Amino acid sequence: MNALFLAYAYLRYHWARSAVLVVVAALILFVPAATQILLSTSERALVARGEATPLVLGARGSELDLTMSALYFSDERPDPIRMSQVEAIWDSGLAMPLPLHTAFSSGGFRIVGTTLDYFGFRDLEVAQGRGLTLLGEAVIGAEVAQALDKGVGDALVSAPENLFDLDGVYPLEMPIVGVLAPTNTPDDNAIFVDIKTAWVIQGIGHGHEDVVTAADIASGTDALANAAVVQYQRITPENIESFHFHGSQDDFPASSVIVVPNDTRSGTILKGRYLDPESPTQLVEPAGVIRGLVDRIFRIKTLLDVVTAIIAVAALAAIGLAVFLSYRLRAGEIATAVKLGARRGMVLRLLAAETVTLLFVAGGFAMAGAVVVSRNAESWVGFLLALGS
Amino acid sequence: MRKLIPTTTPRLLLAAFLLLAAGAAMAQERARIVAVNYPLAYFAERLAGDAAEVIYPVPESVDPSFWRPAIADISTVQSADLILLNGAGFATWVDRVSLPRSKLVNSSDGLSDRFISTQSITHSHGDGGEHSHEGTAAYTWLDPDLAIAQAEAVARAMTARGLAPADAVQDRLDALRSELETLDAAAGDALADAGTVPMIATHPRYQYLARAYGLDIAALDWDAGATPDADQLQALSDLAAERGARILIWEADPGAEAMTATDELGLTSVVFPPLATPPEDGSYLEAFRAAVTALGTAATP
Repeated sequence: MNALFLAYAYLRYHWARSAVLVVVAALILFVPAATQILLSTSERALVARGEATPLVLGARGSELDLTMSALYFSDERPDPIRMSQVEAIWDSGLAMPLPLHTAFSSGGFRIVGTTLDYFGFRDLEVAQGRGLTLLGEAVIGAEVAQALDKGVGDALVSAPENLFDLDGVYPLEMPIVGVLAPTNTPDDNAIFVDIKTAWVIQGIGHGHEDVVTAADIASGTDALANAAVVQYQRITPENIESFHFHGSQDDFPASSVIVVPNDTRSGTILKGRYLDPESPTQLVEPAGVIRGLVDRIFRIKTLLDVVTAIIAVAALAAIGLAVFLSYRLRAGEIATAVKLGARRGMVLRLLAAETVTLLFVAGGFAMAGAVVVSRNAESWVGFLLALGS
Repeated sequence: MRKLIPTTTPRLLLAAFLLLAAGAAMAQERARIVAVNYPLAYFAERLAGDAAEVIYPVPESVDPSFWRPAIADISTVQSADLILLNGAGFATWVDRVSLPRSKLVNSSDGLSDRFISTQSITHSHGDGGEHSHEGTAAYTWLDPDLAIAQAEAVARAMTARGLAPADAVQDRLDALRSELETLDAAAGDALADAGTVPMIATHPRYQYLARAYGLDIAALDWDAGATPDADQLQALSDLAAERGARILIWEADPGAEAMTATDELGLTSVVFPPLATPPEDGSYLEAFRAAVTALGTAATP
């Protein structure tokens, strides 16, 4: 007890040196623990998203790009596929296809055009407002709401695809009708619209003034074509009736399609149908693709672990040296203590108490930091994964 | 007697409670089917029996072709277990609302080669180039043969989703198909000689009926049940003279004044409800049979 009291008094007297030692030791303990927590949480998050998505259909090409686009709404742009592919899956009766249109963004967040079935599939719940109901409406993820400081009643404007693409994509103003509850998944960072709204942004569907006006009818020229009709950039109750789509919906595009087979057998049959390497489409298993990605990341992590271990050894050696040098500096003090009658064991106990106290405090800080990281790991990892997209 | 009351009353109460509980459970378990027009609602009711609650969400006085659902209506539709669409361009509101694709069934899917195209308007806007809106005649159920195909699609959808026992649905489908075939034969007999009589319809609703029974029907674009003004009567007179028509088909009874005005043009008025909405009397089959009988009678010299 006396040793601990004297050790505490000594450390408090030399508070600056003690603080530096505590910070260094705490960091040495905290960094590997935090890295491990974040990496394992990342692995779980990545694999969980992959395993929660049975199959993804898309244009033949990079499986990783297709998976990242469909699961994380990343910047990768796999070639679009036709909606007839979606209908083919419905017609097969083997699975539920969930088309995703991820070509556009707003405020730095991806606009995800899909069907209402997606919300049920991902168990997404509306925390404020309501779900998608009318063409042109948007429901935003929790992170989007926070980052853009938007909520129900506000509006978002789709970003032009290309400044020079004067012919194709016009910005569409979309009212926000709902905000989703946070899920710590990429859905938090998405702006959800009906896929038909995405087609409107793309210019496939549009609304415009009446082609045949009352004046035309009165003048008997109602059958004439009328050029340069004004197109609407906002869907309102007044003009929604004028919105329409051209061509067959089978020809409309989807960036990718999440495919949810009815059962294992149905999934196997479906996979067999897309094996032909000449087919313009491919059906991938995201879990396998993500597992491959995670394996690659964790090969790098092994290297990271070695580097961390070397740094930790070097830091421990530095601390040991600092402690040893401090003992050398305190040689006179120790000699005085011995002359005053302190036994060698007492001196050793005193020094050990100081070291243990330092390590105990450092360990406490490191553990507190690790707890903080652990509690927030899912949201931080979700944020980091979103940054990656 | 005194002893009987105290012993039976709790039993009766218990039985009533159990019945109520069973009723509530059945009500909760019943599937909900939404149909965008009356014929589909009729087919669904016939096929599902008591297994499902069939909802026709359009208000009584509104033509489902032009119905614009409110947010609450859309929520009702979204929450259904099955949403029956007619296809062929009927109820275009579905293109402007969000509906769960997994619950949607287009009852005319696979019948597109039997659709009748309508006129189109060509126009352009922006830099998108010139394009046209080609329409499709939507009242497919006025051809009983197409109606049978639609009923079969409804039955398949119910069975695939397990909304009603498959055997029962099949039995009811067989019965419905038989009745529709009988209706088709009866309509064929009633309209056997009507093909040579040019007719005019107040609204373009009867394309499939005309094709099914070889009728010659030109169409105006009047509001259902509205009394025509002088210009409309003049246009009718001109068209009747041009085509030699002597029968005018109304969607709904326009009233005595309108009928008198068209009678004076030498046209025999026949009310043929297009049946997109529930008929005032009887069912789809009864109203259809009555209408073709009336039309056949009017066409008989």
